[in-house]
Amino acid sequence: MRIEVLFPEYCSLFGDLFNVKYLQACLPGAERVDVSLREEPELSGGGLVYMGPMSERTQEKVIKKLMPYKKRIGELIDSGTAFLLTGNALEVLGSHIIREDGSRLEGLGLLPVYAKQDIMHRHNSVFLGEWNGAEVTGFKSQFTMAWPTEGAKGLFTVKKGVGLNKKCPYEGLRVNNLFATYLQGPVLPLNPCFARGLLEAMGAHGAELAFGGAAQEAYKARVADFYSKVR
Amino acid sequence: MKRTPYFYLVLFISKLVRFLLLKLGRNATNFPGELAIWLCRSFIGRMPKPEKVVCITGTNGKTTVANLVEDVLERTGADFYCNRNGSNVYSGVASLLISNSDWRGRPTKKLAVFELDERSSNLILPYMRPDIMLCTNIFRDSYKRNAHPEFILDFLNKYIPDGVPMVLNADDMMCSELKPGNPRAYFSIARQPGDGEGSRNIVQDVPACPRCGGELKWDFRRYHHIGRAACKDCGFSSPKAGYTAVGLTETDMEVDIGGESFRFPLANSAYINVYNSLAAVALLCELGLEPGKIAGALGSVGISATRYMEEEVNGRKAILHLAKGQNPVACSRAFQNIRDYPGKKAVILFLDDFFDAQHTVENVSWLYDADFEFLADGSVVQLIAAGARHWDVYLRLLLAGVPAERIDHMPGTGGAAEVLRPGEPDSVFILYDVYTIRLAEDTQRLVVERLKKEAAKNAD
Repeated sequence: MRIEVLFPEYCSLFGDLFNVKYLQACLPGAERVDVSLREEPELSGGGLVYMGPMSERTQEKVIKKLMPYKKRIGELIDSGTAFLLTGNALEVLGSHIIREDGSRLEGLGLLPVYAKQDIMHRHNSVFLGEWNGAEVTGFKSQFTMAWPTEGAKGLFTVKKGVGLNKKCPYEGLRVNNLFATYLQGPVLPLNPCFARGLLEAMGAHGAELAFGGAAQEAYKARVADFYSKVR
Repeated sequence: MKRTPYFYLVLFISKLVRFLLLKLGRNATNFPGELAIWLCRSFIGRMPKPEKVVCITGTNGKTTVANLVEDVLERTGADFYCNRNGSNVYSGVASLLISNSDWRGRPTKKLAVFELDERSSNLILPYMRPDIMLCTNIFRDSYKRNAHPEFILDFLNKYIPDGVPMVLNADDMMCSELKPGNPRAYFSIARQPGDGEGSRNIVQDVPACPRCGGELKWDFRRYHHIGRAACKDCGFSSPKAGYTAVGLTETDMEVDIGGESFRFPLANSAYINVYNSLAAVALLCELGLEPGKIAGALGSVGISATRYMEEEVNGRKAILHLAKGQNPVACSRAFQNIRDYPGKKAVILFLDDFFDAQHTVENVSWLYDADFEFLADGSVVQLIAAGARHWDVYLRLLLAGVPAERIDHMPGTGGAAEVLRPGEPDSVFILYDVYTIRLAEDTQRLVVERLKKEAAKNAD
């Protein structure tokens, strides 16, 4: 099992690399391939391709780097390779980003979504959503809001908190085995049910969750806290 | 800026409110300024300023550095005022200007030292031009407030006025790049035994050359991105410092200042505190104080007891150590200090954000940027995680490689000292956030009692 991590030196602003470390703990035999922004991505298919959140300047560099691979990434998505995108990594594969000055940064155009920056008004919120009948908790801290376009399919249904934008009933996007969410940080260790689903999508059927008991208890405590403290 | 009759009315109201608050026994370090700015947005700009304004900012260490600078100024007889007991955001600065002025707003002292929250610089610096400004370092901090370091760097570059002399950390390639056109002095700690090229930390906020994005060749990387490096592509490198700590002992540092060597006492020899002392020395020298006088004054200065305090009990120690919540780098420094501290250690972790724990679900992502891996060291014999997010801390510790049998965890903070196994550690560290100092002090008292009982039991 191969886990390709795109640009980890830049794309891990909020503890996000623990998504990969957690998968490695669940899959001790997995091979992790870190691709630096100075290198070329492998995109060999199978396993998982992971990319985490990045600064706004890095976003431009990453889009430039991945643009020549747009067709290949599209093929991988279509053929069912698992992708996990957290934070604003989603925007890289979206259609475009509208900067604060109104200018437009073209994305790869592989996801039916666009985003709009508002740098002086950072959005912070906690999130509780539903995925495959289970609850997902998470945290959002971002300079953008996103608007899905035709054909978009949400990842999590919003129960408490904010979706892709303040009026959107869902958070993140799902295309085949591509999971893209604005939730930041260690989404997988914080959500055992979602981690299980991703492992299945990667083809790691029946894989045991690392520290599954502790992860489940932490998750349960967090969900209970959401219900008691978050309106 | 022009002082209108309305400004004088706002000043009068603010002073009156301050007077009333003081009569009511309140400290009035924030509200009068908040009120003044609410009534007159450009209030700070309109207030007359002292002849010399010193500003100290940066992600970590700014409070300690400001306190050191103020202590030295006090001991060398300088007449100044500062926001040591107040807030470091715009309302605190405004309150300080109000409290240190006459009824017409004229400052009562010629020198002011302001610790500034970097995120408030947009509300302060356009209205108050510093005569000199120090930046301790730039790291990722609270995700909610500070987003990411590039955002903070851009923010400071935008709001620090052109031409203001800067005192900067030469061992931080991001900090040293601040306001490139401004005059500057740098401080640095020369390579020390144990400094290596590798990275031992999760957070690396300078992953490549800040100018061209090229690969960096590190001479040494002390922690996170603190170290000295050069770009393989464009040749950009860490700047040469005018204030370089060349030799360190447990109690002092030898600093090369323009080719001359001076010794300065250290209250604590952990690198973060050496950087803090060195930053204070560099700033004070740039202000014109003689190194010998600074050294003399520093001899009687310690670290604030609200940040670090040791209490000895029959040869063992109960240690309060600040570990700012939501700040992964500050916590990582604390964890490494604990690992490097001699003997066996137990650690009580109060890491919850005090306000979030009461009202919402704390964003725990930062736990995964903090180097809990230092606490997996065999010398850390017991870890006690207490608070609302204790299960999350427990999971993070397990993922860091800490054996489950070394960890206790519980929702209530009151029971933390009770589960301590006092027979095992030589030292007990209590890590706490800025807002939980009272809880930490209470726990320290309980820990001291348990260590005393243990000592008495052993004596029997």
